[in-house]
Amino acid sequence: MPVIIHADKCDGCHGSQNPPCVRMCPGDLLMKDPKTGKILMRDPAECWDCLPCVKVCPQEAIEFKLSYQLGFHTAKLLPHIHDTRDFITWELRDTKGNTDKFTIRTKILPVELDEKIEGVTAVDFSI
Amino acid sequence: MEQNTIETDVLIIGGGTAGCLAAVELRERFPGINVTIMEKAHIDRSGCLAGGMNAINAYLNPGETPESFVKYVRFDSCGIIREDLVMSMAELFEYCVKKVEKWGLPILCDDKGNYIPRGRWNIKINGESLKPIIAKAAKNAGAKVLNWVVATNYIVVDGRVTGAIGLSIRNGNLFVIKAKATIIATGGAAGIYKPNNAHDAQHKTWYCPYNTGAGYAMGIRAGAEMTSFEMRYIGLRVKDTIAPTGTIALGVGAPQINSKGEKFMAVKYANIGGDGAPTPYRSHGPLQEIKEGRGPVYLDTRHITPQQARDLKSAFLDMYPSMVLYWAANEIDPSKEPVEVQTTEPYIVGGHTQSGYWVDINRKTSIEGLYAAGDVSGGAPYKFVSGCWAEGVIAAKAAGEYIQKASFADIPQEIIKEERERVFQPLLNHTHKKEGIKSYDMEVRLQKIMEEYAGGAATFYEVNEERLLVAKRRLSTLPEQFQYLMAEDLHELMKAHEVIDRFYVAQTLVEHMLYRKETRWPGYCTRTDFTERDDDNWLKFVNSRRNPATGNVEVFTRPYEQVVPGDRYKPR
Repeated sequence: MPVIIHADKCDGCHGSQNPPCVRMCPGDLLMKDPKTGKILMRDPAECWDCLPCVKVCPQEAIEFKLSYQLGFHTAKLLPHIHDTRDFITWELRDTKGNTDKFTIRTKILPVELDEKIEGVTAVDFSI
Repeated sequence: MEQNTIETDVLIIGGGTAGCLAAVELRERFPGINVTIMEKAHIDRSGCLAGGMNAINAYLNPGETPESFVKYVRFDSCGIIREDLVMSMAELFEYCVKKVEKWGLPILCDDKGNYIPRGRWNIKINGESLKPIIAKAAKNAGAKVLNWVVATNYIVVDGRVTGAIGLSIRNGNLFVIKAKATIIATGGAAGIYKPNNAHDAQHKTWYCPYNTGAGYAMGIRAGAEMTSFEMRYIGLRVKDTIAPTGTIALGVGAPQINSKGEKFMAVKYANIGGDGAPTPYRSHGPLQEIKEGRGPVYLDTRHITPQQARDLKSAFLDMYPSMVLYWAANEIDPSKEPVEVQTTEPYIVGGHTQSGYWVDINRKTSIEGLYAAGDVSGGAPYKFVSGCWAEGVIAAKAAGEYIQKASFADIPQEIIKEERERVFQPLLNHTHKKEGIKSYDMEVRLQKIMEEYAGGAATFYEVNEERLLVAKRRLSTLPEQFQYLMAEDLHELMKAHEVIDRFYVAQTLVEHMLYRKETRWPGYCTRTDFTERDDDNWLKFVNSRRNPATGNVEVFTRPYEQVVPGDRYKPR
């Protein structure tokens, strides 16, 4: 159960065909549900726990969970990107509810809500 | 299932660590040429660097030279490496690191502005966004990026690679890329053996589980010469999360201890460096402790201060965030108790060990028109991030020069037709409701054979002739089964080809392990029938070539050449 998508927070990035989380998953595991417009995880067992999808979600709608076999319930790790994009603050909570925060320098590049896929239509590249 | 045909001067397959740097170098050094990157995911967060990195682990800190680096890597690889290749990448570490720093990578510096060393070859970075940074540089340089196009095979015409074919997993189009030169940079292979964790954590692996050996497999199928597959990579990692241990061992100086509290590396392996012994021994040592009943094995962190424990967590958040959540979810404080470690599933990865394409000093493979860089390229271990960058740069220079005299080839239609049929067969099997095999089931089958007969974790990574021959025989039936693979969508179709690719890696690996009749790298490949290192007979490379016409794998040796003088078993 590596990442879960909170349906109450996910807005599917509105009309975006390829929302940031879908683009950032290196395993092609996130997809937009054509019926609800929200994001679905294809198969939790294929997740690498790498977190780009969590960090890039503008709604903070994606939460990283350890598989239960690896750790107990209610512990949480929530990344928050600063508006200046040069820091990331990680909010950590253990199973007893103790919290801690880690603020680390980074360089987050701006990410568009949508992006056209190169070469989707045959016409683009026909020679 | 339309066809997109593209002509490009240079095709780079794999937009990762090596591929991005190759793209930038090509566009800077040869203005006006067009460069296309074929990428199976999205270049911004694909491959090994998706989660980030917290250190550059191949860098020449003050006082070190390319020669001293070669000596160390030779020691770490138990006396055999391609010294020419390792030297040529070390000469470019500074160039690559400075370049990526200029693009915006935060590197930790002291008050005087010098990088902060973490051991002889390491510097600390805040590399959470390392992948988007190098991807942006590739795009800014003007490389065309084809995201979500999975490479399936090279196009070989008259013995020369003249491009490649790929499958778009977004629209099902077949991409036919005609190129004057091709650089393969697809990374190594995970998932050959049973993973460390099962069920919903099966991809909780150290190496990127989406690196499935496509580049190796395409080369093997095309008859490229491969080297050193038998030098598998089996890393010492944090138990359960399979997180890297360098952050702990080097970061806070934590020795390995067994359940009795004994510093077994320091005692039993003192003559080869104790806790600084060559990497295979740092996996072999703890395995012996566990085998002989003195497990669990730990990295002893009990001496660190609470502030050091916080710094350790910060470092993991830059690269492997799940480590920090794991400690919180298991009430573990690394300053109060030692960190338990285990060894990984065996990976084939030429950036840590040296499995991959046999290349010349310019990273040209044995096939005309094809260059290899990064984890997929052989003979040069200890690349990590910066060595992959360096190889991208070297391959780019050579490919850029090659295309000045090369032209596009005419591609016979039957090559494309044949590949189209091969690529889409699992999808058609599903459409026609044929009885078949899911890619996952074949993956488990492959992993079971390899785990049980070709030295998986369950047998302490040990192999012998008889077991390997069983593996060889069972594997030999798999190709006949590919025709039954089923895929209900494009994601599943990609996975079907991933398992096919991993078969070719596994087959080559077994041939290599059978051939080397010594134990050069205990822990990586321990032969119970040839337990000692044998420099008289085996100080040479084991190479192979699969005959594309017959499918037979020919295995042979290539000589080792010492370039840097000195004792090959000493780190300095």
